Amino acid sequence: MIAGKAIGIIVPSMIYDLEFFIENDIEGLTSIQILFTDNNVTLFVNSISNLTMFLFLAVPTLYFIIKTSIYQTTLQNPRTLVKITKFNILKWVTKKDVTFLHIFIWTSFLTIASIIVIAHTLQGQTYSWVGVSAGVASLLSIWGTIRTFELETDKIYPKENSYY
Amino acid sequence: MAKKEEFKKVFTQILEPFALGLLALFFILPVVTVMNLTPITKQIKKIDVLGVTTQDELVLRLVGGQHEIFSGESLNKIDETEYAYSARIGKRGADSYSKPILEIQNNTEEKKVLSFWGQTLSNTRSKIYLQEKETPYLLQDNTGETYEQKISVLPSEKVIIFLALENLSGVQFSELFDMTITVE
Repeated sequence: MIAGKAIGIIVPSMIYDLEFFIENDIEGLTSIQILFTDNNVTLFVNSISNLTMFLFLAVPTLYFIIKTSIYQTTLQNPRTLVKITKFNILKWVTKKDVTFLHIFIWTSFLTIASIIVIAHTLQGQTYSWVGVSAGVASLLSIWGTIRTFELETDKIYPKENSYY
Repeated sequence: MAKKEEFKKVFTQILEPFALGLLALFFILPVVTVMNLTPITKQIKKIDVLGVTTQDELVLRLVGGQHEIFSGESLNKIDETEYAYSARIGKRGADSYSKPILEIQNNTEEKKVLSFWGQTLSNTRSKIYLQEKETPYLLQDNTGETYEQKISVLPSEKVIIFLALENLSGVQFSELFDMTITVE
């Protein structure tokens, strides 16, 4: 989250040769201010840094959710098993290196990052499309996490009575 | 054995609040750091080697800060004598609102006169005016008609300009306010 934000500030500043200053002033919760001299530049850099921070969290989260969902569906549906064998991704899917806790923590940080991005959008400090994308991806990951949780609990308490 | 269980119970009771605090910090610290890393706009004063400011001109700065109604403020210098200010005015109830928007510092040896002309794109029957100390300067009346206003800034004087608006009825959508500032 922090790395994404920092990289999102440094990289565009280097690419577009943007001048910025760092000031130390205690104002509320913040003690360090990164200052740009132009409003449009600030808006651009803040939008890019928010987008980078968000993508740093969203990509792994969605990867974990998709992988776990495919794995769980494979256990329940032979058709999926045939398909993933056909695509030769059986080894990747069956490698059980992602737990529900991983997904939960990543989604929590993704949701926090989305709240920050949406707050910035409402304050006019970030492009609106960045805020909308963050909101949509966050909702999708929350839905994916809930679904993963359901699949995990199904393993302990299967829905089908015949399993009991 | 019972003593060990008792110790374990007390130890858990003492440690649990700290563990919860640490867990909360695990989420709070990244949020505070990200807020610290959020860039802001500020004009840096040009200082020479002796530490004395060499600016001998009229300086316009955004006051900035957060406000419930006024957001997304920007101030752009068009040329040496013209500036463009814009802000988003959010949805609001029937009331009066104001916010300090501009800090004008006259570093020259002569009096400077600034003319202000501003309006919203849609007419929401809002009365919009600038305020300097106790004096209001009407920019747009309830009917949407606009007025140009002039404010004088004496040599070495610093003035704070407020943007104020009055609504007789609530407005359920946000609107853009644009203002042109010309130094005469």
